[in-house]
Amino acid sequence: MDDKTLALMKQAFKQYYFKAGDKIIPPTRMSEREFGYIPFGGSMIRHLSFKTFGDLYALLVREAPHSVYYSAAYYHEPTLPMHDKGWKGGDLIFDIDADNLKLPCKKDHDLWECKNCGLKRIGLRPEKCPNCGEVSISELNWACEKCLEAAKNEALKLIEILMKDFGINKSEIKTYFSGNMGYHITIESAEFEDLDQTARSEIADYVSGRGLIPESIGVFKRATYEDLLKNLPRVGEPGWRGRLAISFKNWKVKGFDNDNDVIKKIATLYGKIRYSKFKKRLEVEALNMGAVIDTMVTTDVHRIFRMPDTLHGETGLLKKMCDNLLDFDPLNEAVVLSDELVEVFIDYSPKFRLKDQIYRTFKKEKVKLPLMAAVYLAGKGLARVI
Amino acid sequence: MFYKNIVLALLIELGLEDLAKYPFIKEAGEYIKKLNIQIEDLNHPDYINIIQRAKERIKDAINKRMVSKEIQKAEVDILSFPIALLIVRMCNNDYLASIYSLAEAIRIEEFLKYERKSIISHIFKTVLNIDVIEVLEDNLMHQFDYKIKIKEYLKRSTQFHELEWKLINRVVNQGYVYLKTHELIRLIREEIRKIIYNRIKNMATPKLPKVIEDAVSEISGMVQKLIINKERISSTLTPKNYPPCVNYALNTLQKGQNLPHFGRFLLSTYLLNIGKTVDEIIQLYPKLPDFNERITKYQVEHIAGLRGGRIKYKCPSCKTLQTHGLCFKDETCDEIKNPLQYGRVKSKNKR
Ligand code: SF4
Ligand SMILES: [Zn+2]
Ligand SMILES: [Zn+2]
Repeated sequence: MDDKTLALMKQAFKQYYFKAGDKIIPPTRMSEREFGYIPFGGSMIRHLSFKTFGDLYALLVREAPHSVYYSAAYYHEPTLPMHDKGWKGGDLIFDIDADNLKLPCKKDHDLWECKNCGLKRIGLRPEKCPNCGEVSISELNWACEKCLEAAKNEALKLIEILMKDFGINKSEIKTYFSGNMGYHITIESAEFEDLDQTARSEIADYVSGRGLIPESIGVFKRATYEDLLKNLPRVGEPGWRGRLAISFKNWKVKGFDNDNDVIKKIATLYGKIRYSKFKKRLEVEALNMGAVIDTMVTTDVHRIFRMPDTLHGETGLLKKMCDNLLDFDPLNEAVVLSDELVEVFIDYSPKFRLKDQIYRTFKKEKVKLPLMAAVYLAGKGLARVI
Repeated sequence: MFYKNIVLALLIELGLEDLAKYPFIKEAGEYIKKLNIQIEDLNHPDYINIIQRAKERIKDAINKRMVSKEIQKAEVDILSFPIALLIVRMCNNDYLASIYSLAEAIRIEEFLKYERKSIISHIFKTVLNIDVIEVLEDNLMHQFDYKIKIKEYLKRSTQFHELEWKLINRVVNQGYVYLKTHELIRLIREEIRKIIYNRIKNMATPKLPKVIEDAVSEISGMVQKLIINKERISSTLTPKNYPPCVNYALNTLQKGQNLPHFGRFLLSTYLLNIGKTVDEIIQLYPKLPDFNERITKYQVEHIAGLRGGRIKYKCPSCKTLQTHGLCFKDETCDEIKNPLQYGRVKSKNKR
């Protein structure tokens, strides 16, 4: 990014932080966490610690960073190197990223750029550049409204599992728009804080529907029709058994058209396709019903995670708490930068919306845009200040 | 709720029989304390059958890998437990402490499987601080016996690698995991073993009365013989060109000590990679009673890529092994990044 554009972004962020002091909720257990930030035009600075919110806020206003993070973990000594920090426990965190959903609309808005000849195109990243044959190609992921809606849907699935199966109170589940492509969910609860990496990966697998074996719903290799009638899960049972019982309604089997004989239908199906095929089908179904999360994030106990109420350097949007996720409109509620006009040169940009304004596709043009939109494009490297 | 707790407290009047079954619980300790026996008293002929029973416990552990469940006289059985611990302590042999504590843990597990629900809850609470909640008959989940908090489950279940222990393959509801009795009991074997093992390790070493001294030398003799036998076997199994980390894992296993999962993983991947068969590897695992050949076979086959995900696992790198504390570097190791390179480098250097 060129200096002029960097300066604009930093200035915009500074302006925001300067006024936002009372809107930022101080992190819980602040002095036990590791903080880190990426300055505009710089690289990550980690292993920081703040005793008071005042100190942290001063950093935000002074540095106006591209990104600010803190550890989900609580440490004895947050500033020491990793193995000396003394891990005490950590929030249980989940990351939902639209890009991992691989929606069909990706090809309509994602962008790639050849690192050799600089060719830029919309669509899925090709194996090699059609212009020069280069294989080293960078991609730029974009989240359209459909993408964000789909990510929200995953978050809703996750929250339901957390509430029903894990018994976590709604008030303990903090849901945030990530500021870019998805949602972050954080649980600060004594119940889960001291779980280690392996235990967390079990939770990650559970919520995403990974690792389910047919035996857990009463389907064994040599199971007879009668065994299955007895053991298959019924609607209303808790956990994954109940969840799968619901999905069985939609399984299509010849000769079974209505909802009444679901158990018989599945038992018959098993008789036809037997264990391995049934297992495959079940695995696909479980993954579908689970939430698509980035497992690494949940599992890594030393992870630093974007700080709520701070701006995302790639969009200028806020990582914002969603009080009512169902109705949350990220492209409205997370937009906080001003609408003061700035002139930028746009290389290329897909159609997008911010607040109530819809922006058309731009291609190699000079335009005057509200600051919020200019930063939204500049953060992704699509626009520069002239 | 309060009322229910009182009823529960009344129900768990622990009889002498119970203390004999579970001599590691604090009530058994309190019972013994009340008897006010001094260590010198043990020389007295009155105590001869207690010392007999103590020795029997240890011999059972050595010969049968499980202390017998027979209780002839509850008082004798209760008292014989701390004396057995003392003898094992004084033998000062890690291998013995290991197999003995496992043998006691298995005995306890066998009793717990058929225990009254109130006693199970009581032991889980007082010994392990786990709240075990009974699932009532009229409950929707009546096919289960107990439920425990998810975190208590996960802290223990992750030591197992069979898929049935994965959280997703359990019935989970409102923060609890539902379990059948034998599953609940299986979860804590290793902890009980550790509790007994640590008690042995942390025991003071008092001046011993003659009877105990004699018992110690008798048992020590038995252990010595056992270890010589073991070493004879393991020396034929341990080619000189295995790297130190693999040899360490192998030795730990042969000594009947607990090898962490990652150690087993190293061993299996390494040996598979140098061309050993699944069966040859399973042979390396000692015939402990908790050794379930089927399960080990499954695990090794899984690693070999014959099962489950069909991923053939690679041997972990030296760096990874170092972070797991399983690396025991020697000079040859300086030149390598993966244990698999060790053999080649070693024979090259010799030439
Ligand atoms: S350096 Fe590598 S080969 Fe040598 S002992 Fe350590 S892990 Fe094994
Ligand atoms: Zn090119
Ligand atoms: Zn999209």
